[in-house]
Amino acid sequence: MSALSGPTYDPDMDDRKTSLTVDVDPGLVAYAKQLVEAGKAPDVSAVVNDALSEKVGRDAVDRLRETAARADPAKVARMMAHVDAQAAALPGR
Amino acid sequence: MSEEGGATTTPAPWVLDVSVLTAIARADPEVTYLVIALDGRGRPLIIPVLAITVASSDAGTEDGDIALRGLERLENVIVAPLKDAEQATRLAAVIAKTGLATGDAHVAAVADASVCPILTADAPKWREPATALDDPLHIIEIAEPPEG
Repeated sequence: MSALSGPTYDPDMDDRKTSLTVDVDPGLVAYAKQLVEAGKAPDVSAVVNDALSEKVGRDAVDRLRETAARADPAKVARMMAHVDAQAAALPGR
Repeated sequence: MSEEGGATTTPAPWVLDVSVLTAIARADPEVTYLVIALDGRGRPLIIPVLAITVASSDAGTEDGDIALRGLERLENVIVAPLKDAEQATRLAAVIAKTGLATGDAHVAAVADASVCPILTADAPKWREPATALDDPLHIIEIAEPPEG
């Protein structure tokens, strides 16, 4: 058997990482380094990745709320009443 | 959440089927509003991963995928994985018994295992599958009530 190791399985199915050069406020860099030193993140890249990922999630929720804002309130009220009536009729409810 | 006699109770979870997830991925305002409102009431909402996959394919847009990721971020939404061989083979059994396609079969398998209702925008689709398992599946339809 060779000692060479091949690619490993990523159970998280994450996309491959891409290098990025950006300018960041010094205070934010210091905070990222503090997180790494405190063992709360493996490296500064992970801190930046997590922050961007968090923003993507928040923006996605905002997009959902923008879609919901276009709803007809009277129609939704009728639909919700119908949902509630069905739920109330379920066995054990 | 609701309070009964001073004790806080969490409502029973509901499982969102492919029709609901596809409506959200296609930016249906009323269905999206209703699901956000249910989440705001504290109702746990389960979204099986294979149903997300089918809804993403059905919508076929980047905006649709963003909506599905946003749904996952709501406070009371829980993603149900397909985590091991036992669950995978149990899903195969549900497909065989109900004749459902894979996405909604995952919905049925989760609802059956958790004994919780399915929220759908397409109730007729569930008429036969709902009685195909050992215990009946309970269906809640998102629709305007019939007149009269």
